[in-house]
Amino acid sequence: MSDEESSPQRVAIGISFGNSNSSIAYTTSEGRAEVIANEEGDRQIPSILSYVAGEEFQGTQAKTQLVRNPKNTVAYFRDFLGQEFKSIDPTPCHQSAHPREHESTVAFSIKDTESDDENIVTVSEITTRHLRRLKNSASDYLGKKVNAAVITVPTNFSDKQKESLSKAASEAGLEVLQFIHEPVAAVLAYDARPDAKLSDKIIVVADLGGTRSDVAVIASRGGMYSILATAHDYDLGGALLDQAVMDHFAKEFIKKHKTDPRQNDRSLAKLKLESEAVKKALSIGGSASFGVESLADGIDFTSTINRTRYELLANKHFASFTRLITHAVEKAELDVLDIDEIVLAGGTSHTPKIASSLRNAFPPTTSILAPSTSPTAINPSELVARGAAIQASLIQEYETEDIEQSTHPMVTVTPHLRASIGVLCISGSESQGLFRPLIDAETPAPVRRTAQFATPKEGGDVLVKICEGVREIKVTRAEKPQTNGRKEDDEDSEVDSDDEPEEVREKVWRVGKVLAEAAVKGVKKGGKVEVQVNVGPDLAVQVIAREVGGKGGVRGSIEKPAVVENGSA
Amino acid sequence: PVLPEGWSAEKDFKAAGTLSSATQRIVEPVGPHFLAHARRKRHKRTFSEDDRI
Repeated sequence: MSDEESSPQRVAIGISFGNSNSSIAYTTSEGRAEVIANEEGDRQIPSILSYVAGEEFQGTQAKTQLVRNPKNTVAYFRDFLGQEFKSIDPTPCHQSAHPREHESTVAFSIKDTESDDENIVTVSEITTRHLRRLKNSASDYLGKKVNAAVITVPTNFSDKQKESLSKAASEAGLEVLQFIHEPVAAVLAYDARPDAKLSDKIIVVADLGGTRSDVAVIASRGGMYSILATAHDYDLGGALLDQAVMDHFAKEFIKKHKTDPRQNDRSLAKLKLESEAVKKALSIGGSASFGVESLADGIDFTSTINRTRYELLANKHFASFTRLITHAVEKAELDVLDIDEIVLAGGTSHTPKIASSLRNAFPPTTSILAPSTSPTAINPSELVARGAAIQASLIQEYETEDIEQSTHPMVTVTPHLRASIGVLCISGSESQGLFRPLIDAETPAPVRRTAQFATPKEGGDVLVKICEGVREIKVTRAEKPQTNGRKEDDEDSEVDSDDEPEEVREKVWRVGKVLAEAAVKGVKKGGKVEVQVNVGPDLAVQVIAREVGGKGGVRGSIEKPAVVENGSA
Repeated sequence: PVLPEGWSAEKDFKAAGTLSSATQRIVEPVGPHFLAHARRKRHKRTFSEDDRI
């Protein structure tokens, strides 16, 4: 990259644009994704704009204006983009400028100039101003003019919403290279780490935000991601946790001073800001102090709260997060036993209790990537922006046309295997054999996988039997464990009643169709057989079986299935 | 498993069935492995052809 180059060089960043917060990230020359702090030092930049005497404030500065200047402060607008007024939920904007219908879109009436007149500013214009500020912060930091971005969107963002966002971005001088889904960006952020090992696994990404929470079940197969199911909740988020803290302190204040700070808009705004700060402090420390000057009726208020108390107050919300996540797993027609990894993303994921509730709901084989459960976890607030930055660095050299062609449905709609393909070991009969999966179900074709299998000890001629396998959940009622000690924490005791024998659930393989048999002759004692299965885009299969270290081997092909049925994507 | 007595097939390989029909799903167009997949698909290359390049 030389300075003399006259052609407009792309400088691309990753942007995570949220209702509550936005982040910007770039990829360093070593290929690591880094989140950029804006000039105020914030990496989580509140998606808020505020106007005071014609001057524009954004981020944290705008957020403090929610107390003094709520009518000219715009917040929680991302989800209004590209929507009709009648289809939006204006609840989160209750304490800031209210959205209103304007022609076919949503707009805000705010005093954004020095004059005392209110102007109607569309949500698209607000977005442009916000993105322009993010772009400028990134440009200042990088010392180069940023002109392109990969922006993350929720999985259920409509084409119309994407189009509006794309238009708002280009008004801000940003070329949107690609929109990528938030949960996929989070997975990419983990997989792009240098020490990450790619494997085939089922991942649940729980993006727990401020005003909404989104869960996606993703099949990760050799670094390719397919979304199996999604679940959304537009009421569940950090705001509910703030509310629990708010109500607690409000009650305490009423007890002492006989007025409810929630009755007065300004007191409420102060209470809300401080409650959010307390909640964040409780994600890090065991206790936090709350202090607001002149909360209501000119009375200062200070108090403290510890984490145990807070977890009790917000208990039912924590249960809702777990429910949303297990619901998404059910929607994907999977069992909790099928889940290899849970990636917690979004600001609310910092809460330790959410991770520990999931720990109880999922088997010990599921790894939970959150700061409180995994030392290698990436900051959940930064995941999505990092993923976007990685994708931006991968495609910024591409021609726009190339990107469009690559993301075209012709390319992205791919047949996924309905059943796993594997080798039957130990015995040739389907009832006694042990099925070892080689290619998991939901793997997109074409795919090639190789694995080694042990042979009978004495060696000799070996039969390799390639089968389809289906995972089933076997439930066995185990005898009551002898140590029937009472659990230490009483909260759990209602869950498992003492009279019922404990259920043991495990994954077992049921062998389906036999696809092919191959004979590998004269295998040495203790030798191993290597099997490679190559599934073509038309589902025709090539099999190669050979002894490890041996020559030649057996090759054969299986024809493609007669009819390709159209499944639901 | 051990090869049963009397098992024989042309070139020691016997095809017994075809794969179950697949589900059409959307692969997320994200990450280096997808980009490699898209490249193969657009140029109609196979894995081994792609390896050679």
